[in-house]
Amino acid sequence: MIKLIKKYTNFLVLFWSTSLSIELEYRLNLIVDIFTLVGNLFGSLLVLSLFYTNHHTLGGWSWSAALVVLGLFTTLEGFTSSILQPNLSKIVRYVQLGTLDYVLLKPISSQYWLSFRYFSPWGIPSIIVGFLISIYGVISTSNQFNTISIICSIIMIISSLITLYSIWFILATTSIWFVKVWNVNEVLKSILIAGRFPISSYPNIVRTIFTFIIPIAFLTTIPAEALLGRLDVYWFLFSLIISATLLFTSIRFWLYALNFYTSASS
Amino acid sequence: MSNITVSSLSKIYKVPYRKPGISASIKHFFDRKYKLITAVDDISFKIDEGEIVGFIGANGAGKTTTLKMLCGLVYPTKGIVSVSGFIPKERNAAFLSQITLVMGQKQQLIWDLPPIETLKVNAAVYGISEKEAKKRIDELASMLELNDELFQPVRKLSLGQRMKSELLASLIHRPSVLFLDEPTLGLDVNAQLRVREFLSMYNKRFNATILLTSHYMQDISSLCKRVVVIHKGRIFYDGALTKLTNKLSPYRNVRIEFDKPQTLDDLKEYCEITQIDYAIATIVVPSSKLSFVVSYLLNNYTIKDLQVIETPLENIISELIRNGTN
Amino acid sequence: MYISLVKLKRKLVKFTNIFRALLTSQYSLMHEYRAEIALWAISGLLPLIMLGIWTQSSFANFNGSNYNFFVKYFISAFIVRQFTAVWVIISFEEDNLEGRLSPFLLQPISPFWRYFSSHIAEQLTRIPFVFFILIIIFLGIQDSFWIPPFHTILLSPIAIFLAFVIRFLLHWIFAMCCFFNDKASSLERLLLIPYLFLSGLVAPLETYPEILRTAAYFTPFPYLISFPSLLLSGSIVNPLNYFMHQLIWIFILSIFSFCAWRLGVRHYSAMGA
Repeated sequence: MIKLIKKYTNFLVLFWSTSLSIELEYRLNLIVDIFTLVGNLFGSLLVLSLFYTNHHTLGGWSWSAALVVLGLFTTLEGFTSSILQPNLSKIVRYVQLGTLDYVLLKPISSQYWLSFRYFSPWGIPSIIVGFLISIYGVISTSNQFNTISIICSIIMIISSLITLYSIWFILATTSIWFVKVWNVNEVLKSILIAGRFPISSYPNIVRTIFTFIIPIAFLTTIPAEALLGRLDVYWFLFSLIISATLLFTSIRFWLYALNFYTSASS
Repeated sequence: MSNITVSSLSKIYKVPYRKPGISASIKHFFDRKYKLITAVDDISFKIDEGEIVGFIGANGAGKTTTLKMLCGLVYPTKGIVSVSGFIPKERNAAFLSQITLVMGQKQQLIWDLPPIETLKVNAAVYGISEKEAKKRIDELASMLELNDELFQPVRKLSLGQRMKSELLASLIHRPSVLFLDEPTLGLDVNAQLRVREFLSMYNKRFNATILLTSHYMQDISSLCKRVVVIHKGRIFYDGALTKLTNKLSPYRNVRIEFDKPQTLDDLKEYCEITQIDYAIATIVVPSSKLSFVVSYLLNNYTIKDLQVIETPLENIISELIRNGTN
Repeated sequence: MYISLVKLKRKLVKFTNIFRALLTSQYSLMHEYRAEIALWAISGLLPLIMLGIWTQSSFANFNGSNYNFFVKYFISAFIVRQFTAVWVIISFEEDNLEGRLSPFLLQPISPFWRYFSSHIAEQLTRIPFVFFILIIIFLGIQDSFWIPPFHTILLSPIAIFLAFVIRFLLHWIFAMCCFFNDKASSLERLLLIPYLFLSGLVAPLETYPEILRTAAYFTPFPYLISFPSLLLSGSIVNPLNYFMHQLIWIFILSIFSFCAWRLGVRHYSAMGA
């Protein structure tokens, strides 16, 4: 088992070093992406501040607490553009061109290859800035960090990353059946925008949907509550169950989809 | 011992079909109708270790489907496949490390990077140490006559160089079973020749089993002693290439150029004389009498030039299929 | 003078014929992609998510009339967003990378019209899905149905179309960067940022601080979402000034598009691709 983990970690180092050299071929992207990050951040802060003018509040969250949510959302966006986007948006192309064959013939888990083969460094600034905003938010609520809340928060953040990854991978898997499915990514991205704001700021029905159908609550709001030290144990466990179930589903679903895979051309 | 065993293998695709138009597509949504398409129909064959077998047939005959079932990419509907003692569809890691699939029209090299980057990744995936990988890359590169090309971005390479790099990337784990789906597609005559030479060298050096499909009959005739002809999912012929040619073209055309005009009356009982034009004659000889007639001619006449014209393999195949369907 | 007019007319007729042919073929192509267009329609749900937040926020419920304004505004924004979707950068980049651009350049009509017609065709295909989503919205959100005044019903489609043209030209200019850099799609992400925050997609510009709103109206973005949505929701009494602005932006961006196209093609031919 340890040997296997070591092997797959080695792959990761190798994969990412080769994809770094692809990305560095396009240096202009760095400037463009930094502009995008800064613009995005200011825009988000502006819109968030609109809700707080004249002492209004959003879903019962204070300005600082809402900042934690926004920070976590920025981090997730960075994770998305560094890992999810470069890999999972390629699955459709693999299927279209039939080069998925080559992936399947490698003696390595195909889901692992498809999920982590590429890495784009341009998401890293978002990840860092997002974390800084969250920490600033927590500090300005005059909340005290303690060991337990830090551990819980880390676990909740990992759990949210797994949830996001699994949803995305499950959707990407459908490209085995629907060859022209790249729009699914767009749909997902546009719905994830809902994670910018605390889940309690939505009307009841929407809140229920975002908790039980499209688990957006577990992406930003729940980890933010953990960071703020006010997450109760049930939600903690519930989040773990959701992420574990989704991860397991994504694996099973991929294997199931492979049964149907019959290659693009003959 | 046979390395690949296929027995009564079939693949039936279920293809949804619908009529055009909105109402038909709504109907289709609720009540989906399928058409069954038999791509491979009850085929059986065996291939020994170290053998090179050519797999031929028209487009859509079922060649690629069969190849994909052999490497576990497509699950058979019926029948048993065994490759090097493994069942391909289980896609066991040990099995995958022993085989390779090269597809002429699909590439695995990363477009923006030099081939060497893909080679490194592949070596790691197959668990080859860096030192060993370097040794193998050098060996294969010299067999393929590749040097600096490995360090140039793939998009800058010519089609021939790219195909050779693809081969290198597919063979770095030194597979003992090679499935090649039109590996020479689109290459010029020179590059085709190189690829052929390389494959035959690889086969000899590592005693590898090779199953190859190609539309270029030159590939087949220069590499394969044995061919399997497939048509509409069924095997039409499985055996030696020479026997196939003999069976299907029992006669040979011979063109002879003499020093002076001849009537060739003495040859009439052995063969048919189709044309005599001054000193050049064309005769049709049964394959069985060919060697006798040729030596007779050489012994009794002064001959400036003599040519045995083979029927092109393409013609033989289409002949075979035409006869078979009737 | 007379002769050149005849020539012009002949040219125009020829162009209309080609454009109509392009549109028909693109329409049947888009019809094949119905399923994904439906998906794409869903991806335009952002204004509805924002609707949820704004109507729930204490800001909107501060006094009763605000609630109605937000509901109408965001439903209008949803409709406008649906019919101003532009993806020309992505498809242009794909065509360039896969070498489909060269044959397009040989055709007697600028590829601009090919992409333009494919966008129009897609919007036509989208109409039933948008209606379907609208019905769900009207049933699901209380007090959400309204009938705009008659002149608005006539003017809104024009405003939406002009908004689409502005956005298309804007994206086209950026798409021309594909000629110089293989990966122009990151520019699309960049372009999304001012669109998101200055067009009124996530918040009505009326809620912005005065100075920011004034600044925003100096950019083309408010004319993409904010103006058509306000018009459709019945909050603009005299739209003439806004229409003028739309036309001015179309004029400016057309010049830029044309120059960018010329520059791009010159660069492309120089590279000998």
